[in-house]
Amino acid sequence: MKLRILIADDHEVVRRGLCALLQAREGWEICAEAKDGREAVEKASQLKPDVVILDVGMPNLNGLAATRQLTQLDPHCKVIVLTITDSDQVIREALDAGARGFVLKSDAARDLVSAVEALQRNRMFFTPRVNDMVLAGFLDKGHSGSSSEPPRLPKLTSREREVIQLLAEGKSSKEVACVLNLSTKTAETHRSNIMRKLGFHSIRDLVVYAVKNNIIQVQMPTQLHNPTEGSAA
Amino acid sequence: MTVRILVVDDHPVVRHGLRTLLGGHAEWEIIDEAADGLEAVDKADRLKPDVVVLDITMPKMSGLEACRLIRKRAPASEILIVTQHDSPHMMREAIEAGARGYVVKSNASRDLLAAVEAVSQHLPFQALNEQSVDSA
Repeated sequence: MKLRILIADDHEVVRRGLCALLQAREGWEICAEAKDGREAVEKASQLKPDVVILDVGMPNLNGLAATRQLTQLDPHCKVIVLTITDSDQVIREALDAGARGFVLKSDAARDLVSAVEALQRNRMFFTPRVNDMVLAGFLDKGHSGSSSEPPRLPKLTSREREVIQLLAEGKSSKEVACVLNLSTKTAETHRSNIMRKLGFHSIRDLVVYAVKNNIIQVQMPTQLHNPTEGSAA
Repeated sequence: MTVRILVVDDHPVVRHGLRTLLGGHAEWEIIDEAADGLEAVDKADRLKPDVVVLDITMPKMSGLEACRLIRKRAPASEILIVTQHDSPHMMREAIEAGARGYVVKSNASRDLLAAVEAVSQHLPFQALNEQSVDSA
C-alpha cells in the first residue's frame, strides 16, 4: 500500500519541487495539495494522509496553527513543518503544536525524503539544531528564571491567533468573519480583545507583532542594497 | 529553435520545481542552475542563455543586482524575475534593473510558461496578484 502524502505550500513552484522529490520514491504518492493552512486541514480531515507536509509561512492559516488543529483532531497525525527559519520560537511552537518533523526549506531537497522515511517508521526527524534545543530543554528542566527563557507572551486563544494572522494579512473584520465563518460582530469582538490583551492601538502594531512572533513569515529582501551580506533565508 | 534557460534560486526545491514546470516544453532546455546572484552572473556571462529565470532574495548578491550585471555582460539574455514578492514597487525596481518579465511564485502555474514564452521573444510579461495591483 502506498504512503499517502499531503503537501501544503502557498507557492506552487515549491509544491512542484516537493512533489517531484517525493514522487520519485516508489511506494509514495501525493494524495493532495493545499495552498494554505485552512485548505490543508480540510483536505487532511477528509483524506487522512499518512504524512502531512506544511509550510510554516502560509496565508489564511499558517503551518503552525494548521499543525495544532490537525494534531488536536487526530493526535496520531504525522506532520512535518517546512520553514525558512529555525529560530528558537518557531522550533518551540512547532514542537508544542505536535509536529514530528522539522525541515528547513533551504535543505528540503536534502532532508525531506529522510524526514518522510523517519515518520513512516514512526520516528521523528529534526535538524541538528532542533535536537540540541530539545536536549537542552531536558537538561535545563527545573531551572527557572533563566535568562534564555522566552518572555511570557499574553495568553491568546488559538482562535485569536487565527484572527491576528488574517488581520495582519490585511483583511478587514468583515473578511475575517467570512473566512472563519463567524458573524462580523464576533470577529470585531475578537479584534477588540486582541488589541486590548496586547495593548495595541493600531493594525501596524499588530502586523509587527505577527511578524516578530512568526504568525506571518516574511522573507525580507535584505540583499537588495547590501550585496556582500550573507544569506537572508 | 531551442530556448536555452538558466534557472537561478537559492532553494534547491524551488529550482527543482521550476525544472518540473519548464521541462515539459519540447523547445526549451534548462542549460544550468545557479544558487546565488554571483553564480548567476558568472554562468550567464559564460553560457549566454536566452532566458535567465531569476529569484530576487538570494545570498551573496541579490537578484536585482545580478540582473543589472547580467544585462551588461550578456545583453542578449532576457531576464524573467520569479519571486515571492507580490509588490508593484518591487516589480518596478526589477524592470528598472533590466528585467523583461516578472511573475510571482504563488502564480507559477498560471504565469510561468506564458512569461518564458514572451520574454524569449523579447516581449515584456509582468503579472501580480489582483489585490497587489489594486493597492499600487
